[in-house]
Formats: sequence, structure tokens, C-alpha cells
Amino acid sequence: MSGSPRARRNQALIGFGLYAYLALTLAFPVAIVALWAFYDPAVGWFPPDIIPRSFSLSAWREVLADRNVLPAAALSLFVSVVVTVLTGSLAFPTAWALAQFPFRLKRLVEIFVLAPVIVPGIVVAVSLGEIFFRFGLAGTVLGVILVQIVGTLPFMIRILTATIEGIPRELIYAARTLGASPFVAVTRIALPLAWPGFAAGGLLTFIASFEEFEKSFMVGAPKVRTLAVQLWSYLGGEVLVLPTAAVVTLILLTPMLVIFVLAERIGKDDVMAAGLGKL
Amino acid sequence: MKPSLSIRQLTKQFDSNLVLKGIDLEVAAGRFVVLLGPSGCGKSTLLRTIAGISDPSSGGIWLKDRRIDAMPPEQRNFGLVFQTYALFPHMSVEKNVAFGLEMRRVNKRDIAHRVAAALELVGLADYAKRLPKQLSGGQQQRVALARAIVIEPDVLLFDEPLSNLDAKLRDTLRDDLRALQQKLGVTSIYVTHDQSEAMALGDEIVVMKNGEIVERGTPIDLYRRPAYRFTAEFLGMTNVIEAKLRDRACQLPWGDVRELENPSERDVEGVAIRPEDLAIEAVETDHHGVVEQAMFMGAATHYWIRAAGKTLRAITSGGRTAILPVGQKVRLVPPPMLHLLRAHHPLQEVAA
Ligand SMILES: Nc1ncnc2c1ncn2[C@@H]1O[C@H](COP(=O)(O)OP(=O)(O)OP(=O)(O)O)[C@@H](O)[C@H]1O
Ligand SMILES: [Mg+2]
Repeated sequence: MSGSPRARRNQALIGFGLYAYLALTLAFPVAIVALWAFYDPAVGWFPPDIIPRSFSLSAWREVLADRNVLPAAALSLFVSVVVTVLTGSLAFPTAWALAQFPFRLKRLVEIFVLAPVIVPGIVVAVSLGEIFFRFGLAGTVLGVILVQIVGTLPFMIRILTATIEGIPRELIYAARTLGASPFVAVTRIALPLAWPGFAAGGLLTFIASFEEFEKSFMVGAPKVRTLAVQLWSYLGGEVLVLPTAAVVTLILLTPMLVIFVLAERIGKDDVMAAGLGKL
Repeated sequence: MKPSLSIRQLTKQFDSNLVLKGIDLEVAAGRFVVLLGPSGCGKSTLLRTIAGISDPSSGGIWLKDRRIDAMPPEQRNFGLVFQTYALFPHMSVEKNVAFGLEMRRVNKRDIAHRVAAALELVGLADYAKRLPKQLSGGQQQRVALARAIVIEPDVLLFDEPLSNLDAKLRDTLRDDLRALQQKLGVTSIYVTHDQSEAMALGDEIVVMKNGEIVERGTPIDLYRRPAYRFTAEFLGMTNVIEAKLRDRACQLPWGDVRELENPSERDVEGVAIRPEDLAIEAVETDHHGVVEQAMFMGAATHYWIRAAGKTLRAITSGGRTAILPVGQKVRLVPPPMLHLLRAHHPLQEVAA
């Protein structure tokens, strides 16, 4: 298995490169942010010090003292859960239909589905804000939920389509010959077998919704403020207040860490191959 | 008695590709019919069309006198068994088997009863609570079989159900399947490209090629008296020899003259001699050919004989006789009666 020394050296190099990349993009920024979040304004943090000389919770106190934070967090949780559930329910029928399309047609429709992702978020946010205002949805929780779904739906459809395409056609055929109508075959067979797609898509949707700022701000502000909108205001108008920004970042990071730990736990139970013998 | 199935002028077209070219097939009630043909000849397509998971381009299907080709599969009451088993991976064995009964709104107590009976029938009574992935391939296919028969289908359809299993298991399951079908007396259509499976299972074999039926008959008829060279060669091994026809007899290339079973045949492509019907005798002079290769197979010995400009196969049975060495001169002893093979001409492809 070990291969030639050269192959092993290449493997080591690639491994090192990947870890270096991870360190640069993930560990390093998080570490810096954490340091700033706990730095002590009374002492300050200046070069050449690599880490601050003294730590404090002052930035945290400042953010958490704000009475708006807890309600905003609760609202965000609610909005994200509803957005995730609605996105899943809306995406599944679309994904099912897409998975049945012949190949050539499918690519076209996929582009159509992904179009909103290509347009810069701020452009979508501004124009949707305008439309939502006309429909009287501006400043409502419903409006925020709907506008977030616009952003999360394409990904969910994409992921579910791939999952459904992985479900062997024979299973649906078997269900049909056993007496299931198309609807029953889908709900009893395809839906439960699509759960890995729901899990993966749901996690992404939840994170995207929890962090979403532009569209929620355009539609919800100033009345409806999700945690992301609320926390962005701590970034302090003209100047960037680093310690507060760091606290905001860490708070927004928490659900993601929780979710990724959960995702790791769910693991890779290969239900798909199981019913189909040892092909 | 279970109803019979009639297929008339059935065609199926994928884009410009005519995959079924007007299939006519009657399956008598309670019969076990095997569709046999090379890969890609349209066997699965025909079976799926009968099951209703593929729509025919034209033609009709009747169950007794009820036309069913426009019916969705869930209304046909056919049992279908796939090569890949197609068990629902998220349901236990008993849930899989119960599925069809649930769809028919059978009450809970009867479902439990019938599922248990079906699992008993396939010898899996102790596996009811397991998930499909906890079973071997053979066990999974038994579950699939139980799932198909528990609904008491009018017709049972099999698409190469044994091809994913290893040789030994394939034989046991094949025998069990045959016994089960005879016990239930359900009209069955079985797709395979394995000729020994076809002969072991079928009351009748339907030979297909390129989207059409070449010929059909009982295994014995098709094996001993095939009309076409294609059938003769597909069902077991055969030597096809060009012989001079003389009235009611023919002369083989090495001089022997034999009577013909079917002298009135037209458009002849040769005479058929099965390797097991071609005896060989070791001689020193006046030989017809020489042994090119010999292979001892236990119950029989297979010979390749170079004679009359081609290589012929001969099989001698019995383990007691000596194996002839390569290069041995031999005389060929054909059977007393020979059978003429007709050439098969495919239908002209109908342009779309
Ligand atoms: N969905 C489809 N779209 C286009 N062509 C198809 C489709 N299904 C089958 N075909 C074509 O129809 C022909 C017959 O296919 P079919 O699956 O019926 O063959 P088969 O006799 O079952 O072969 P095998 O023994 O390999 O299973 C093949 O040439 C195949 O390429
Ligand atoms: Mg096939």
C-alpha cells in the first residue's frame, strides 16, 4: 500500500498543503477573532505583542448588555427553523420533477434554478425589498422568511435532485407494481430515502438563513431584526470596532460549529446500496 | 385458475430505435414461459411493458379478455422480481413483504398472517425483523419473491432474478423457484439470457433476437428440433454443417449419408449435430479428422475435432473410457437422422 518513496513524499506534500490551507482559512482567522473578542481595552493590544497582554470580557458585556440581542437570537432561531422546513418542503417536489426530466432538459432547468445564485446578493436584496414593500411584506417576519427562502431554495433543490437521482428507479417501479400510486410511491419510498439530502441541504439552509444579512435587512429592517441584522449594527457604522466585531463573528459561528459536529455524528450510513444486493 | 396473457403486435420505440418489433405472444394460464435471448434483444423492455412500468408505442396486452396496456402498474396486480432485488432498504423484511398488502388495504391481522405465511414459504420465517442489508443476496432475492407472491398476483414477472447470485446458490434458488411456481400455479414470465436456466425452468421457451421472437416451444422441442440456426446455437452448443441435400437424405462433407427429419425445409442453412450426438472412434487409417484439443470435464470429455476444413465439437460421456490424445486420427459417427436448420431473416426495420 505504501508505494514508492516518491509517491509517499508526494502524499506528504499534498497532506501538508491541505493542512496549511485549512490553517490559513479556518484556524488562523478564528484564532485572531477569538483573541480580539477577549482583549482588554484598558491595556490594549499593540505590536510587537503576538497575543494581548491581558484579557477581559468587556466586548462581550457590551454586546450582551444590549436588550435586543436575546429576542433577536430567538427570532433568528424561529426564522431559520421555519425557513429550513419550508425550503425542504418546497424543494422536494421540484427536485423530484427535475430528477425525472430527460438529461438535456434537466441541464436547462438547472441553470434556471441556479440563476438567483449568480446575481450578486445585494442586487437581489434591493429589488426584492422593493417588491416585498409593494406587497406589504416589508417589516414583517413572514416577509423575512419568504425572502430568505428565495436564497436557500436553489441549493436545496440542487442537493435533493442529486439525492433523488441516486435512488434506484427499480425501487419506485417495485412499489408501483405492488399497488402504490405515483404519489404513495414517492412519499413512502423516495421521501424517506432522500433523508441524507434533507440532512445535508437542511444544515446548509439553516446556516445560510441564520447568517443571512442583506435580504433580511432590506425586507425586515427596521422593525424585524434577526440576530445577524442586529449583530451587524455592532460593527459600528463608519469605523470598524474590532473587539465587538469579533464577538459578533464568534456568536454567528456557534450554530455552524454545533451543526458540523452534528453532521459528523450522522455519519455515512449507506442505506442506498443496502437494498440492492452486492452489486 | 389464473388468467392467460395475450400480447399482440406490441412495439416499443426509444427515439429512433425500434426495440420491440411487433411482438405476438400468448401465455396460457398457469404456464411458466421463459424469454431467452442475447443481451440487448429487448427482453427486459418487453417484461417492463407487461408490468406497466414502460408504455408500449403500439399494440395491446390482454389479461384473459381485459385489455390492460393502458392501465397503470398499480392496477394490474402483477408481481415483479428484479435482478437487483429492489427491496426497500429502509423497511424490515416483513414491512417489505407487507407493502403490497397495505396498498390493498388488507386489515392488519390478515397482513401479519399472510406475511408470515409468505416468509415461511421462502424459508425466511426467522428473518422478519431484519433489514435488507443484513441479509445475503440469496436471502434478499427470497424476500423479493415473497413480496411478489404475497399479493397473489395474476401474473408473476421475473427479470433475471438469479444473475447476481453465485453459481451454487443460483441452482438451489432456481429449483426452489420452480417448485414454488408449480405449487402456486401462477402464470409466469421469466427473462434470462442463460440457456440452462431457461431449460430447467420453462414449460416453454420463447427465443428472442433483436426485438422479435425467433421461435418458441418446449425446452425439448427447441433443443432437439430447432427451426433456426440461431436457436440451435443459442440453446446449448451445436455443430452446424453444410451438407449436400439429396432428396430425403443428405451427404456430410466426410462422405456419410444420413436421412433427414425435415427434408421439406426451404432456405436451409445447414444440418445440426449436437456435440453429444457426434460419436468419435479412434482409427489408424481412413480417418475423417484429428483431435485438436481434448478437455476432461469429469462427467464428460469435450473434444475439438478438425475435420472437413472446420472444427467440430464432440462430447463423450462416461468417465471410464480413455481420453484420446491430441493428434489422434478419428472417424466421426453422426446420429442416424439429421435435422435441417432454416436461416432466420430479421424483419425489415420500419422507418419511423
Ligand atoms: N430507457 C431507454 N432509453 C433508450 N433505449 C433503451 C432504454 N431502455 C432500453 N433501451 C434499449 O433497448 C434495447 C433493449 O434493451 P433491454 O433492456 O430490453 O435488453 P435486454 O434484452 O433486457 O438485455 P439484457 O440481457 O442486457 O438485460 C437496448 O438496445 C437498449 O439500449
Ligand atoms: Mg434486461
